[in-house]
Amino acid sequence: MTTAEIVFTALGVVAVGAGVLVVTTRQIVHAALWLVVSFGALAGMYLVLTAEFVAWVQVLIYVGAIVVLLLFGIMLTRAPIGPGEGMDSGNRLPALAVAVGTAAVLVTLLVRGFKDARIELEPGGGSADALGEAIFREWVLPFEVLSVLLLAALVGAIVLSKGRARTTAAERGSAGPDAGARGSSPGSKGRER
Amino acid sequence: MRDVVALVLVTVAFLTLPLIIGQAEHKVMAHMQGRLGPMYAGGFHGWAQLVADGVKFAQKEDTVPAAADRRIFLLAPGVALVPYLVVLAVVPVGPGQVAVDLSLGLFFALAVMGIGVIGSIMAGWASANKYSLLGGMRVAAQLVSYELPMVLAAASAAMAAGTLNLSGIAGAWQWWWLVWQAPAAVVFFLAGLAELRRPPFDMPVADSEIIFGPYTEYGGLRFAFFLLAEYAGILVVCSLTTVLFLGGWQGPLLPGFLWTLIKVFLLAFVVIWFRVAFPRLREDQLQRLAWVYLVPIALGQLALTGVVKVVTGA
Amino acid sequence: MRPGLAKGLAVTLRTMMKRSGTRQYPEVAPDLAPRSRGVIALFEENCTVCMLCARECPDWCIYIDSHKETMPAEGSARARSRNVLDRFAIDYSLCMYCGICVEVCPFDALFWSPEFEYAAYDIAELTHERDRLREWMWTVPPPQAHEPNADPPKELR
Repeated sequence: MTTAEIVFTALGVVAVGAGVLVVTTRQIVHAALWLVVSFGALAGMYLVLTAEFVAWVQVLIYVGAIVVLLLFGIMLTRAPIGPGEGMDSGNRLPALAVAVGTAAVLVTLLVRGFKDARIELEPGGGSADALGEAIFREWVLPFEVLSVLLLAALVGAIVLSKGRARTTAAERGSAGPDAGARGSSPGSKGRER
Repeated sequence: MRDVVALVLVTVAFLTLPLIIGQAEHKVMAHMQGRLGPMYAGGFHGWAQLVADGVKFAQKEDTVPAAADRRIFLLAPGVALVPYLVVLAVVPVGPGQVAVDLSLGLFFALAVMGIGVIGSIMAGWASANKYSLLGGMRVAAQLVSYELPMVLAAASAAMAAGTLNLSGIAGAWQWWWLVWQAPAAVVFFLAGLAELRRPPFDMPVADSEIIFGPYTEYGGLRFAFFLLAEYAGILVVCSLTTVLFLGGWQGPLLPGFLWTLIKVFLLAFVVIWFRVAFPRLREDQLQRLAWVYLVPIALGQLALTGVVKVVTGA
Repeated sequence: MRPGLAKGLAVTLRTMMKRSGTRQYPEVAPDLAPRSRGVIALFEENCTVCMLCARECPDWCIYIDSHKETMPAEGSARARSRNVLDRFAIDYSLCMYCGICVEVCPFDALFWSPEFEYAAYDIAELTHERDRLREWMWTVPPPQAHEPNADPPKELR
C-alpha cells in the first residue's frame, strides 16, 4: 500500500466512525459536531484523490454552512445539554436495514462496475480549471438541470413562507383592530432608519 | 528547510501581529475618545499591556460551569483559534513569499475561516447559559447571512484575476482595480467584519444586553484564546482584503512584504476606527444590511466583472 | 450611504489628532479650582467652643469636648471663666463636604484646604483629631483676590 492509500483508508475509517457516532450519540449537538468530523474526513479523502476544489467546497458548504444551519436549528429547539429524550427512534432496525442495504447496493455496484480497475491520479486533475472545463464543456446539461432543481426548491421555500405569512396576517387581522398596524410596523421602522 | 522557516515565521506572525493590533486598538480607541489608554505596563506608553493581560489570564482559574457540556465547552476556544492560524499560512506577503502556496488558496481561506465560527457556536451552546445560547444563535444567523456576500465578493476578485491562487490574484492586480473592484472590496471587508463579530456588527456579544454572548461563562486562558481569535481574525480579514483588492505586496520603492504589512495595518486601523465611530447594528438591521444591500451589490459586481472580462477579452 | 456615518468617522479622527485631556494624576498634580473643598482645617486659637459647627453639621461628624476654666480676676467679685478645647475631631468617613461648618463658624476657626490625599486603610484613621486638623491649617491657601470690578469687601467698608 502506498502512503496515499494508507491515509485514504485512515480517513475513511474516521469518516465512517464519526458517521456511526452521529446516529448513536444520545446528545443531539454532539451528533451535529460529529458530522463536522465526518465531513472533514471526507474532505481529506477528496484531497488525497487530488480533488482539491471539491474538498474545499465540501468544507465551505457542509462544515461552514450546513452544520451551522443545523446547529442554529438545534438551538431553536428545547434540546437539553446531556442525553436527550427522543434521541432513539422506534424505526431503529428498519433504518439499519435500509442503511446496510444501500451500502450493499453501492458497494456491489462499484465492485462490479470497476472491479480492480485503477485510475492514475494526476496532480491538478481536480483543480478548479479542470473541473470548470468538465462541467461547462461536457456536463452542461446535467449542471443546468440541477440548477433548475435548486431554483425550484428556492421558489418552493419562498412560496411556503409567503403562504404562512398570509394566513398568520389574516389571523392577526381577526384578532384585533391594532393587530394589522403592529404587523406592518417593522417594515416602516426599517424605512425610517 | 525553506518550508520550516516559513511556517515558523507564520507562527511568529500569528503570535505577535494580533497583539500589535490589540495594542493599537487600546491606544487608537483611547485617543479617539480623548483618553490616553494604557500608560504604565512596560514603562513606555503601556506597550506591554497585553503581555500583562496575558499573564493575568494565565493565572486565573479554569472554571467550567457545572451544567455545561464539558468536553465541547473545553474544546470551543481551540476550534475558534486554530483556523485563523491555518489561514495565515496561505496568505502571501510578497511575490513568492508564502508559507503554503495552494492553487485554491482563496477557497481554502474562506472555507477554513467558516470553521472558526463553529467554535463560537459550540461555546454558546455548551455554556448552559441563556445569554450564551442567544449569542450563539446570533453568531450562527450572522454567519449564514454574511458568508454569502463574502464569497461572492471574493469570487469577483478571483474572476478578475482569472485564478483562485492568492499569490496569483495579488500579482494580477492593477491600480484601476481600486475603482473596478471597489464595491466588491467594500462588501468583502464589511462581511469579514461581520463574520468576526466586530463592532458595529457585534450583536452576538452585545455586552449591554447579553453580557458577552457565547463567551459569558469563559474565564482565564480560554477566554484569552477567544480574544486572541478575534484579533487574529482581524489580521486574517485585513490581509485577505489586502491580497484580493489592494494588490498585496504591490507598491513603489519599499520591499513587498513591507507594503503588505502597511496595507494590513491601515485596514486594521479602519477596523478599530469603525468600532469607535459606529453604534451597534440591531439584529434586524444587521440582516437587512446583508440581504438588501451587500448580496445585491456583490451580485452586481460579479456581473460587472464578468462583462468587463468578456469585453476586454482577457 | 448616510452622511452620519462619515460624520462619525470625521469626529473620531479629529479627536484622535487632538491632544487628549487626560492628566497622569500621580505624576502630574491636578489643577484644582480655587476654593476646592479637600479637607477642613482647624485654627484652634480662634475656636471658642461655641459648638455651632457641631450642631449645624448635617451628619454629625464633628466631635467637640471641652471644659470650663475659671481664673480669678483681680478686682472682680466673680472669677472669669472661659471654654478650653479638649478635643476637636472631624470624621471624614461621615463628612459630606457641604462646608456648612466653615460657613457658620463665627470666629473663622475652620477653613477649607485643597489637600485631598488622605485616604486610609482603616476607617478609624479617617477621623482626624485636633493636631491633624491643625496641620491642615498650613496648607490653606490665601483667600482669592477679588474680581477687578467687584465691590470692595464688606469688612473694609
